[in-house]
Amino acid sequence: MKVLKQFLAAVSVLAILASPATAAELRFTIWTGNEAHLRMLNGFANSFKAARPDVTVKFETIPPDAYTQKLTIQIAGGNPPDAGWLMEDAAPTFASAGVLEDLASTLNSTKDYDFADFSKPALGLWTAGSKVFGVPFSTSPFVIFFNKDMFDKAGLEDPIALAAKGQWDMTRFQDVAKKLAAANGKYGFEFKDGQGYDSRIMHALMPPIRAYGGDLWANRQCGLDTPQAVGAVKQLHDMVFKDKSIAPPGESADYFSGNAAMTINQISRASLMPKAGFKWGIAPLPAGPAGESPVIGQAGIVVFAAGKQKKLAAEFVAHMTDKANVATAAQFFPPARNSVLSGAGFLGSNNLIPAEQMKFVADAIAKGKVLPSHEKSPQILAAMKPRVDALWRADANVENSLRAVCAAIRPLL
Amino acid sequence: MGNPAPSTAARARRASWLTLKAREAMEAWLFVSPTVAGFLIFFAGPLVAVVWYSLTEWNLLTQQMKYVGLANFRDALFENPDFWHVVRNSAVFAVGLVPFNMMLALTLALGLSGRFPGVIFFRTVFFAPVVTSAAAWAIVWKFLLQGESGFVNQLLATVGIAGPNWLREPDWAMAAVIFTRVIKMVGLNMILYIAALQAIPRDYEEAARLEGATNWQVFRWITWPLLGPTTLVIMVITTIGSFKVFDHIYLMTGGGPENGTLVLAFYIYEQGFKFFNVGYASALALIMFAIVMVLTVVQLAIRRRDT
Repeated sequence: MKVLKQFLAAVSVLAILASPATAAELRFTIWTGNEAHLRMLNGFANSFKAARPDVTVKFETIPPDAYTQKLTIQIAGGNPPDAGWLMEDAAPTFASAGVLEDLASTLNSTKDYDFADFSKPALGLWTAGSKVFGVPFSTSPFVIFFNKDMFDKAGLEDPIALAAKGQWDMTRFQDVAKKLAAANGKYGFEFKDGQGYDSRIMHALMPPIRAYGGDLWANRQCGLDTPQAVGAVKQLHDMVFKDKSIAPPGESADYFSGNAAMTINQISRASLMPKAGFKWGIAPLPAGPAGESPVIGQAGIVVFAAGKQKKLAAEFVAHMTDKANVATAAQFFPPARNSVLSGAGFLGSNNLIPAEQMKFVADAIAKGKVLPSHEKSPQILAAMKPRVDALWRADANVENSLRAVCAAIRPLL
Repeated sequence: MGNPAPSTAARARRASWLTLKAREAMEAWLFVSPTVAGFLIFFAGPLVAVVWYSLTEWNLLTQQMKYVGLANFRDALFENPDFWHVVRNSAVFAVGLVPFNMMLALTLALGLSGRFPGVIFFRTVFFAPVVTSAAAWAIVWKFLLQGESGFVNQLLATVGIAGPNWLREPDWAMAAVIFTRVIKMVGLNMILYIAALQAIPRDYEEAARLEGATNWQVFRWITWPLLGPTTLVIMVITTIGSFKVFDHIYLMTGGGPENGTLVLAFYIYEQGFKFFNVGYASALALIMFAIVMVLTVVQLAIRRRDT
């Protein structure tokens, strides 16, 4: 009996030592599972321990395609993460549903945080009056990734050289894509992640439409049936079905595996390039009749109102988005802090992309516009999808198809 | 013999209501209670909850719930044009899948119910897709059915046929998902038919053959009628399965192109988990339940009439 008592006492002491009553764990959801990204994020968690040694941050990866949906189910199921990444198309829906915590007081009371340093346009999606529902963490413009080897084989000037001469426009883009396809026996261009006809409709259509001076929607009006949008989409349609230079619906032609000469993406995907096995570079999006019209994809960091450690989570968000950490994150996720963006450090922040090419990214952030979003984004995209499918038939009437898209989404706008 | 007789003096008097029958009943309930608890918590409870949810407008994200009576049902049945399109797609899927699946399963079973060298190998080959991961199956077929560069179209090109863009043209996409679903699930029905065929007494066939019956006559007048109960079971479970199909559609077409493969189960998922309209999704789920129930009762009634 005495031995048993001694054993139980020892176990109790060990249990108390192993779980200090003050320890806290923050759960943070994120879309990326990339090792380099996670290493950097875990670095932020470790440095947070300097101020809060009792706090551990656990990053939980949810794949991007199901990210918003799984996050919603976690919130609805009473198991919300404390904080997380939120994409631009979900921000208005979440903010209007009241599930995001106002971070203003924490950010304003954090020493040396300097909230005014964030670019005002970049904050548009994340603020309402004096309330701050999220902090932009990635203000990442779309750029053209190109396979230099394929350009060389086709004897063509690459997009960087063309842009330097002011000749990198939609007409030249079409011409170059066609010649690349003919010379290499691969597609000249692939939409973002090969998903331009499915989950990346916006990323496929928006850049050319903005280059032509149009928009998908603005001020609750559908813009797809305007002459600018029709002209832009007609050109894309010709590239897919007449020139056969863009990978068509139902075909996979992965740029990162060397099966397409160009693609459109963001610099976070540069982490895939070391394994690609070919020479490459990034260039601005081709200009159009409306001149240069960079398109920006954005994501922010938010705290969930239903979380049990909101104050602590807000402190971590403030830490994660302070000047030093935003400068570190800039190598993958372009910043919205003016001081980081204008500093020389940003251009040299990505060890895969040379400073002269990072300049395209900085210019695009300065001049670009974020993708359109709406509190009914899921419904709008679902209403668009079948009508956009009809657009991607070889014999489709582009103008009529785009009118049908507008008719479908107008009641939702 | 040296052991003392057990004393009954210390035993508590049994309550008068605790008869042997009652005690046995209590024990029986005790034994089945884990299953009953599981049934109530994971089946009956959600079923009752779905009925309640269907009468509400409940946004999953905002967690706001409002009682709306039968408005969700009215909207689905009379106001939402997508609903009937989706029901039509589900019907096309079932009409395409059920007969094709059953005919193929019966043909395979007739060929593989005997005993000959290699029969186990062939049965395994046809049954293997049933136990293959649905995700892996759908993704592999998605690649095989790509446009010009897809394996199927490359194969067709060798004999001079220009195959369609299978998963990007609405009619072909439906045909493609039906075909790949049948190939995946036919092994299960094949096994059921083989078991039924092997249970048919050989005497009937031998007697018929002595009377000069042909192979077709033996099948038509002996084998087929005796397979009736199995055919009914297969028809019911395949029909229910075809209306419930979700994973295959989700992975291969996402309901597209042009909503051409948007079936009821997938539409319910979209309403519930993409648009977070849980009340509306619940009403749709109950409508689907009613459709499947009616079809099952009709099949049972037809079978009863025929026997």
